[in-house]
Order: sequence, then structure tokens, then C-alpha cells
Amino acid sequence: MIHLVTAANQYQYCEEMEQAWRLRHTVFVEEKGWSDLARPDGREIDQFDTSEAIHILAIEEGRVIGYSRLLPTTRPHLLSDVLPQLCEGELPRGHDTWEWTRQAVARSHRARGKAVNPVSLALLSGILEWGMANGVRRLVLQMPTLYLLHVVQLHFRARPLGLPQSISGEEIIAATAEFDERTLARLRSLRGDPRPVLAPSYPHLAA
Amino acid sequence: MTRRALDETLDFLRSLDRTANVDEVSRLLMTELADFGIAHAMAGTVPQRGTPTRQQRGHVLVNTFPSEWGQRYLARGYAFHDPTVRQLGFSTTPFAWSDLGPRLAGDAAALRVMNEAGEFALRDGITVPLMTLDGNVAGFSLSGERLALDPADRPMLHLMATYAFGHLLRLRGRNAPVAAIKLAPREREALQWAAEGKTDWEIGEVMGISTHGVDFHLRSARTKLGTTNRTQAVAVALRRGLIH
Repeated sequence: MIHLVTAANQYQYCEEMEQAWRLRHTVFVEEKGWSDLARPDGREIDQFDTSEAIHILAIEEGRVIGYSRLLPTTRPHLLSDVLPQLCEGELPRGHDTWEWTRQAVARSHRARGKAVNPVSLALLSGILEWGMANGVRRLVLQMPTLYLLHVVQLHFRARPLGLPQSISGEEIIAATAEFDERTLARLRSLRGDPRPVLAPSYPHLAA
Repeated sequence: MTRRALDETLDFLRSLDRTANVDEVSRLLMTELADFGIAHAMAGTVPQRGTPTRQQRGHVLVNTFPSEWGQRYLARGYAFHDPTVRQLGFSTTPFAWSDLGPRLAGDAAALRVMNEAGEFALRDGITVPLMTLDGNVAGFSLSGERLALDPADRPMLHLMATYAFGHLLRLRGRNAPVAAIKLAPREREALQWAAEGKTDWEIGEVMGISTHGVDFHLRSARTKLGTTNRTQAVAVALRRGLIH
């Protein structure tokens, strides 16, 4: 099941958020070697983890096995403050546009042989379910260019914001990815499950 | 400079959205890329070693090679010796064929593929490594007699090839099932009567079979059409011209 954690309901997810910070540290610092995010307490938290951020957790029997973060583009976010060089023109900003970052899946739940594993598909489905219910229709992504094909294959309408650039040895691109019910249908058919993934009660965006 | 390359890429994406089949996609690519000396495109997922020739064809999304070379390439299993294909497993960024030079020394099979390609005016090229959602290694090669490519042009080609590949996969997904569906005569007949509004019992009477038999044929037709109920099966079959 996918859970959305915001400032409004964070008090119900204290233990799970602890796990989430640690999963982020494991995946991004220890596995990917993003050493500037390293923290002595093993909890990867940065300047964007404010009350504006939405944390998406994949929880299985009390264990956080997957994580993603959404940031509003109307506030400081990675593309605006950390990687602005990836965007040639105007920054895509607006209430219908959120930045998707820190996608992480516990090593134990990564599928072998497949490029995209079921936990990632479920996290993304949760993001889309939340987005469609809240007037959000576009994600901002920064990713290795190799993943752009996956975004296209998932029936997003992806548009590059700049040309691919080499950042610490990896070729990275920023893009917007528009979605609609076709994207969600595609995710559901790939998952082989037409049911919503979001836990029944999740916080909506304040109007 | 990069701004212009990005705008060119975005223009290309708009044109790509309007292409409806493989020929239109390759024509668009060749028109856009002619200035780079690019005259041919070949793209697909990499077949496992030993895949029979006929199945190798299923891995190809686009191939504008001269037909004699295209046929020889498949018939002789060159995909398994082609150094540009082998490099796909090691690179995540576009590479020029000329970059591979030093690795070919002493590899007679690889050298043969490259030399024979040269005989068909495919001496030079650039290959974009890709990976599909299913985790299949794939590649998009753009080639010609002599390319006029700057390393700074590679990011744009990377994007164009990625999008063209995604678009071709989608076109194939849209078109393939249409060609693949073939209803058996009894499935077609039962479905035709269903489209006329007849019940299973009535269809059984007309066809001289049991209600159970009618259910069997309709169920089988539904499976082939990828539909979940009778109404949807009739609609899809009508749309595809399988019944009328």
C-alpha cells in the first residue's frame, strides 16, 4: 500500500518516516555514493524536506520498502536551486506542476532482469492518483537520460527542458512529464492490478 | 548553441508526434539528419545469441539499410558480431563507430561486419544505447558514408533517437495486435450473431450447436480480442473489420 505523508498527517507516521530517512541514506549515500548528502546519524534529510514536501511511502507489513518525494514548483526545489543549469528556458512552475525526486526502493524489493520494479510502479501510481485528484498534471524530473525512454513508454508526454549534461560522471536530463488517465491505465496494466494503490484516506491539497 | 539544439529537438518531437508509421518516422529522421551525413537508421532490441533469423526480425523496429545488406546482416547473424551492438552493453551515452576502432584489432568477425558495412556506404555512424522498460538492451544506429558530427551534437541525437525509439514501440503496440488477431470460423460466426443481438441459445439454434458450445466459442473470441465481455468483443471485432 502507498501512503502519502504531509505536514498534516506526519504525526501518524513518525516510525515510518524514520525508516524513510534511513532508506534514503542507504540508497543515495551508501549505494549511489552521493557523499554530499551523507549524515552521521544515517538519516538523509535536506533543505527541501520542509512542511511543503509530500513524502510517498511504500509500506509492506510495517516496513518502508520504497520512497519518493514531491516538491511544489512554486517553492524552492532541486531544479530551481541546485540544478538550474539543466533547464535552458523558463522554469516550469505552477500549482499543477510538482517535482518528483528521491525515488528509492529497498534493495530487497528490486526486481531482477526488469528495468522498472513493481514497487516503483506502485509509487508512481500513487503519485498519479494523488495528482489527478488534486489538479496536478505535470511532473518535473531530473534523471539519467537512459530513463527517458521509460517515461515515454509509460505514456507520459515528456518534454526535455534542456539537453543532456554530464553531472558527476552520469548523463542527466531535466524534463517535464505530463500525465492523464491513460498514463495511470498504463501503469495499472503493467502492474497487472486495476485497483488504486493509495491508502483510502490521504491528505488532499488545501484549496 | 545549446538553446538552438534544444529548440530543434522540440520541433522534431512535434513532427514525430504526427508520424503514423515506421516509414514516416524514418523519412522524418533522414530529412532532419541529412546535414550530418546520416543516410540510414537501424534500431531495435538486442536479440540473445543464437536467436533464429526469423525471430531476430521481430527485434528490429526500423531498418533502412540497403535491402541486400539488411538481409545479409540477418542471415549471417551479424548482430552477434557487430561491435556496435556489443558496445551497447557497456555504454549509456552515444558513441561514434570510429571510437570503437582500437577494440576491433584482432577481432576478425567484428572487422568483417564493419568492412562489409563500408561496402554499402555505411562506413561511419553513431549509436545511441537504450534500455526498454522490460530491461532489454536496445540501440539506435544512425549511419552513412561519412558523418559530419561534432561531439556537441551528440546530446541532441541522443534525445531524438530516444524519442523515435519510444514512438516506434508505441506504433508497433498499436498496430501489431490488429494484424495478429485471427478468429476461427466458428468464433467469427458466433460473434457475428452476437452482434445481431442474438442470445447464446438462439446462436446455438442457428449454428446447430449447444449453448455451452456457443459460450465456448465466444469466450475464445474474447480472449483473442483481449476483451472482457460480449459488448466489448463485438465492438472491437467490428472496429477491426473481423465481423460486420
